[in-house]
Amino acid sequence: MTKDEVQGAMEEDQAQSKKGLKKQQKEAEKAVKKAEKQAKLAADQQGSEEDDFAKDRYGVPPMVQSQQKLDRVLVRVEDLSPEKADQLIWLRARVHTSRAKGKQCFLVLRQQQFNVQALVAVGDRASKQMVKFAANITKESIVDVEASVRKVEQKIESCTQQDVELHIERIFVISQSEARLPLQLEDAVRPDGEGEEEGRATVNQDTKLDNRVIDLRTTTSQAIFRLQSGVCKLFRDTLTNKGFVEIQTPKIISAASEGGANVFTVSYFKTSAYLAQSPQLYKQMCICADFDKVFCVGPVFRAEDSNTHRHLTEFVGLDIEMAFSYHYHEVIDSITDTMVQIFKGLRDNFQTEILTVNKQYPSEPFKFLEPTLRLEYTEALAMLHQAGVEMGDEEDLSTPNEKLLGRLVKEKYDTDFYVLDKYPLAVRPFYTMPDPNNAKYSNSYDMFMRGEEILSGAQRVHDAQLLTERAMHHQIDLEKIKSYIDSFRYGAPPTWRRRHWPGESVHAVPRPPQHSSDLHVPT
Amino acid sequence: MSMYQVKPVCGSLLKPDLPTCMYTLPNIHGQQGNSCTSDLCSEHALQNGEVDPAVKALEARQDEILRKLYELKAAVDGLAKTVTTPDADLDLTVSSSLSSQSPSSTTFTGVTNLDTLLGKDLGALRDIVINANPAQPPLTLLVLHSVLCQRYRVLSTVHVHSSVSNVPPQLLSCLGPRHADSYARQMFQLGFTLIWKDVPKLQMKFSVQNMCPIEGEANVARFLFKLMSPYPSDAALATLVDSWVDMAFFQLAEGSAKERAAVLRALNSALGRSPWLAGQEFSLADMACYCCVLQSGPASSTPSNVQRWLKSCENLGHFSPAKPFLQ
Repeated sequence: MTKDEVQGAMEEDQAQSKKGLKKQQKEAEKAVKKAEKQAKLAADQQGSEEDDFAKDRYGVPPMVQSQQKLDRVLVRVEDLSPEKADQLIWLRARVHTSRAKGKQCFLVLRQQQFNVQALVAVGDRASKQMVKFAANITKESIVDVEASVRKVEQKIESCTQQDVELHIERIFVISQSEARLPLQLEDAVRPDGEGEEEGRATVNQDTKLDNRVIDLRTTTSQAIFRLQSGVCKLFRDTLTNKGFVEIQTPKIISAASEGGANVFTVSYFKTSAYLAQSPQLYKQMCICADFDKVFCVGPVFRAEDSNTHRHLTEFVGLDIEMAFSYHYHEVIDSITDTMVQIFKGLRDNFQTEILTVNKQYPSEPFKFLEPTLRLEYTEALAMLHQAGVEMGDEEDLSTPNEKLLGRLVKEKYDTDFYVLDKYPLAVRPFYTMPDPNNAKYSNSYDMFMRGEEILSGAQRVHDAQLLTERAMHHQIDLEKIKSYIDSFRYGAPPTWRRRHWPGESVHAVPRPPQHSSDLHVPT
Repeated sequence: MSMYQVKPVCGSLLKPDLPTCMYTLPNIHGQQGNSCTSDLCSEHALQNGEVDPAVKALEARQDEILRKLYELKAAVDGLAKTVTTPDADLDLTVSSSLSSQSPSSTTFTGVTNLDTLLGKDLGALRDIVINANPAQPPLTLLVLHSVLCQRYRVLSTVHVHSSVSNVPPQLLSCLGPRHADSYARQMFQLGFTLIWKDVPKLQMKFSVQNMCPIEGEANVARFLFKLMSPYPSDAALATLVDSWVDMAFFQLAEGSAKERAAVLRALNSALGRSPWLAGQEFSLADMACYCCVLQSGPASSTPSNVQRWLKSCENLGHFSPAKPFLQ
């Protein structure tokens, strides 16, 4: 070895030893820290093992395997009111939020649409360890809580139960939730505008759909589903009281009922069948079979590729069919009365739900008149002309004109729901009955809610000869509709037909489009 | 000898006053009366003068009789209005058709044209919308409605707004039974839509584009009244009617006990001078005051003229729609 090399080697050694020294120092520091930490933990544990007098008042009990049938009464959060003050109750709810503050832990316990504030405080019932345990319970975990109900002097604005809070004596976690949730419920119920303004998060619709189970837990979703249920129930009850019979119609049918364009095809053993676009044919069969008044609540399938809030591929249809005696207005009166009963039922019994939805989707309260306002097409034309709209006497209403008309009617009559009667014959299908006094008009009508058409109906021609004339006038091939015309040859009662799009019936309350849990809206 | 004999054309009586005037002609301007009477006189004079005073006396008698007849007619008309039965309208129309020259015509005539008042007919029903609070039913408007129905083909409907949960059944039927033709709105000249709604003040809407809403029962009453007959053309009389209407709604209906008593005294003195508040004719003033007087308190403390006038109003029969609400 040369002198240089040796020197280099010596330098290297020195350098190495310097690095080594540094490394050793670092490791030593780490070890010290670790030792300190461990000591602390040990001290903590010691501390926690000493004096946990509340050990059996909290924890994670064994999985509920139906070990015993407890006779415990669980109180609902919505029933917590000042009347229950100072009572000791059990309840089961989800942990909505938990926040520790020194010797106290504040929890918000949630059950469906309702939530209540709960408190674990270090005292003679709860120990420090218990408070710490409560603070560490993950959100969305289900807990069983025994607590005493206490009145509060100041209203708790952030909860639905504003006059009381719970002082927890026992808390057990029945079902633990993962620490990281795909979405936060507070964000899911935040109104869109507020999120943008204050820089807080709102949840994307796709995220909501991907985690539908969690999204459905929000107060808004709970309220929306309850409203939907209420609408169906009011519909059923009102019609049943009027003497209607509920029927269930087939959904897998052999031929497209409305016209081939918007129908879903399914494979049916060796051939194909179709998903029913509406129960129309079966309802009419019932009338010809002397059922007199029928209704039907069930799914309707339309292969519509439009992506608006009024077009869904699958929705629940509320359909009515009835025979009338002398005038198709008997039917209009029946339908409008049903709608008014639904509105009244929602107004009187579902205010809580409506207000809950309003928090996330603000809207004006829904107004209506009883009996329902019925205007004629000529009046609508006059109102639109006065407002400066140019349209012909026999022209159909475009969507913007419908909306404008809705606003004009709202201004004059202060109603969000009305019927527009006597549409021009030229814009209706060939099977619509013409008006007896004026050939330009027809016995057909539309119903509007907040300026949007929700229902279309008409008296149908039930006379085979007139039907043939009208078809020829519209230049329709008679061969194609031969069977339809023939069906009127066997004594068909005067009939009328009405199609109702139910997604819009819940427009009394604005809501996000409805999706079934495993079906996404086609883009 | 002359060739052709021609008879003289003009007489030889005219003597020209030469040299200033060739032909004198009678003065054709002015003093025609004189010339008439002078003719008459000359006629009379021609007729010996004996018939002259007799004819004069005859004429005088004729004038006298005609005058008395007119006075009687006026008195009878006035009486008819105060004493007739609920078939008053029938009687009045019958009597008016018989007397074509009567100076005091029946109530609510006069030329009114719906087109000038409500705007051009656009081929659709012209619907008047009235929003009223069920706690204070507008009796004057109900009365005006029934009179309107006699004059025009009116489609009346009553609705209950969603802001009100319960309305007593008599308020639902206050406009009378549903018209048989109500399914065909176009066939009516006028629409009268009454909506029971939770409003602080009565409100009327007609043409949202051209008219702002009219507020207050007094103003809506004026509007509806003018659809039937115009206000009196005499400005003083029209102002009198207006002031009575205002007094009725502001001081009788909404005023304190003192104000009401003052109005009743004013009514009493006015009714001492004429059968109706605005003179010889029944007018909006009577209608409004009648409804407000009866709505505001019991009839025991009303002065005698007012009581007599109340009975006369009732006899007219216009006020039957208001009756169910006054008990």
